[in-house]
Amino acid sequence: MIEIADLHRWFGSVHAVRGVGFEIPAGQVVGLLGPNGAGKTTTLRMLTGIIRPQKGSIRIAGVDAIAEPTKSRRGFGYLPESAPSYPEMSVSGFLRYRSQVLGVPRGSRKSQIAKAMEECQLGSVAKRRIGQLSKGYRQRVALASALLHDPKVLILDEPTNGLDPTQIREARSLIGDLAQDRTVLVSSHILPEIERTCERVIIIGAGKVLADGTPDELCRQNTGGGCIAECKGHGAKISTTLAELFPGTEVSTTPLEGGWWRVEVRTSDANDPCEQVGAALGSARIQIRQLRPTVAGLEDVFVRVLDESAGAEA
Amino acid sequence: MSTALAIAKREFGSLFRVPVGWIVIALFLFLTGAVFVTSALLPGDPATLRSVFGTTTFMLVLVAPAVSMRLFSEELRTGTYELLASSPVSSFQIVAGKFLGALAFLVVMLLPTLIHALVLRMASSPAPDPGPILAGYLSLLLFGCLCLSLGTVASALTDSQTLAFLGTLLTLVCWVLITNTAPKFVSPELGAKLAAASYLIRIDDFARGAIDTRHIVFFLSISAGLLVAAGAALEHKRWR
Repeated sequence: MIEIADLHRWFGSVHAVRGVGFEIPAGQVVGLLGPNGAGKTTTLRMLTGIIRPQKGSIRIAGVDAIAEPTKSRRGFGYLPESAPSYPEMSVSGFLRYRSQVLGVPRGSRKSQIAKAMEECQLGSVAKRRIGQLSKGYRQRVALASALLHDPKVLILDEPTNGLDPTQIREARSLIGDLAQDRTVLVSSHILPEIERTCERVIIIGAGKVLADGTPDELCRQNTGGGCIAECKGHGAKISTTLAELFPGTEVSTTPLEGGWWRVEVRTSDANDPCEQVGAALGSARIQIRQLRPTVAGLEDVFVRVLDESAGAEA
Repeated sequence: MSTALAIAKREFGSLFRVPVGWIVIALFLFLTGAVFVTSALLPGDPATLRSVFGTTTFMLVLVAPAVSMRLFSEELRTGTYELLASSPVSSFQIVAGKFLGALAFLVVMLLPTLIHALVLRMASSPAPDPGPILAGYLSLLLFGCLCLSLGTVASALTDSQTLAFLGTLLTLVCWVLITNTAPKFVSPELGAKLAAASYLIRIDDFARGAIDTRHIVFFLSISAGLLVAAGAALEHKRWR
C-alpha cells in the first residue's frame, strides 16, 4: 500500500533524511518511532506531497506520488502534527469545506461527513466553533477531516501530541477503531503509544531506518546476554556464588517475600546464560522457582538502537 | 474549478468571521462617503465622481494589501497550509481560490459605493454621464485585481502578515515612483518607456470615461502573471 525507497532530503547543508525506505502492505498498522529531529515529520511530509524528496521514490496505493502528486493525494488521509484547523469555522462547516477540497462527490458529501463525524464522535459539537473546543475535540475534528474521502491509507503525525492522559487513551482507542479496515502509519516519539497501537515498528534516527519489525521481533533481536532467576537463600551468597562461577558478569539481587530473591545476571556477550546459571545454582544447592532470559522492552530496543547508531556515526 | 471555488468561498467567509474584515469595510465606506459628500456634491460643480474614484484608488493601495496579507501567511503561520498542500489540489487551484475569495471581498466592499452614483444622479441636473462612472468602477476592479494578485505573491512568500502587507504596499508605491516620477528626471525615450508601465496614467484615462482595451489587457495580463508567480512560489516551497 505504501512503498518508499531511498528517500533523501536536504535542507540547505543539513541532510535530514538519508535513504529512508520501507514497504507497508494493506491493512497493517505501523509506527514510525524516533527521537525529535530524527526525520519522521520530514519523511511524512514527503509521503504526503507537502515537500518533495530530492532523491528516491514514493508509491501510495500503486500511484507514483512524485510523478502524479494530485492523484496520489486522493489515496490517503493525513493528520498533520498539531492537528491544524480554522478556529473561526464551525465543525460541520469545516468538514463541509474539507470534503469539497478533498474532491468528495457532491451527492455523497452529506453521508461522508455524517460517517466521519460518527467515527470520531463529533455529533454533540457539530455546530460549535472549532476555536471553542478542547484540544482533544480539535484533534478529533482534524482526524475526521482526514477520513472524509474514505481513504484506505491513514497517515498520522504525532496524533496524541499535547493531549492529557484521558484524551490520549481516547485517541488511542479511536485510532485502533479506524485501523480495523485501513492501512495506518503513525509517527510518534512516545514509546507506549506505538507499542500499544502498532503491529509493526520502524525506528528512525538521524534520518535513517535503524530497525524494522514487529515489537516482539525487535525485542527478541535485542534480547540476550542475561537472565533473571528467583531463588531461595541469602542474597549475598547467591551473588557471590554466581560471580565466582561467571567471572566478568554483573549480578544484582533484590529481596522478594518469603525469603526469595530476584537475581539478575548480565553477561558481557549476547548469549543466553540461562542453562549455565541454572546448573550453577543447582550445584550450589540453591533452590530456583523461576529462570528466564532477560527480555528487552521496546524502550530498551529504542535506546540500544539509537546508541548503536550514534556509536557508528562517531 | 469547484475546488478553487470552495477555497474562494472559505476565504471570503473567513474575512467576515474576523473583526479586521468589518473594520476595513467600515473605514473604507466612511472615507469614500466623506470624500463624496465634500467633493462630489458641491453646488455648481459638474456632476462627476472623478474625485471619489481618485481617492478610492489611493485607498485601494492601502486596503488591498490589508486584505491579501493573510491569504497564505495566515495558513503558513497556523499550519493549515499543510492541510491544503496535502490535498488533491494543485498550487494554481489554491492560488486561484484564494485570489477569487479576496476579489469577492473587494467587490462586496465596493458595492455600497454605488449609492454615490444614485445620489449624484438624483441630486444633479443634468444627470451625470454614466460612461465615466462605469469606466471608473471598471478601473477600480482592474486595479483591485492587480493589487490583490501582487498581495497574493507577497503572502505566498512569507508567513509574516506584516511583511506581506509592507511588501505589497512598497511595491505599489515604488511602481508609481518609477513609472510616474522617474520619467521626469530621465531621457525622454526612457521616460516614455517607463511611463508606459504606469498604472496611474491608465486609471486616469478610465476616470475620463475612456475604456481602452489596451488598458484592460495591461491590468489583466499583469494580474494573471502575478498569480502564476504566486503558484510558482507555492510549488517552490515544496522543493525548499
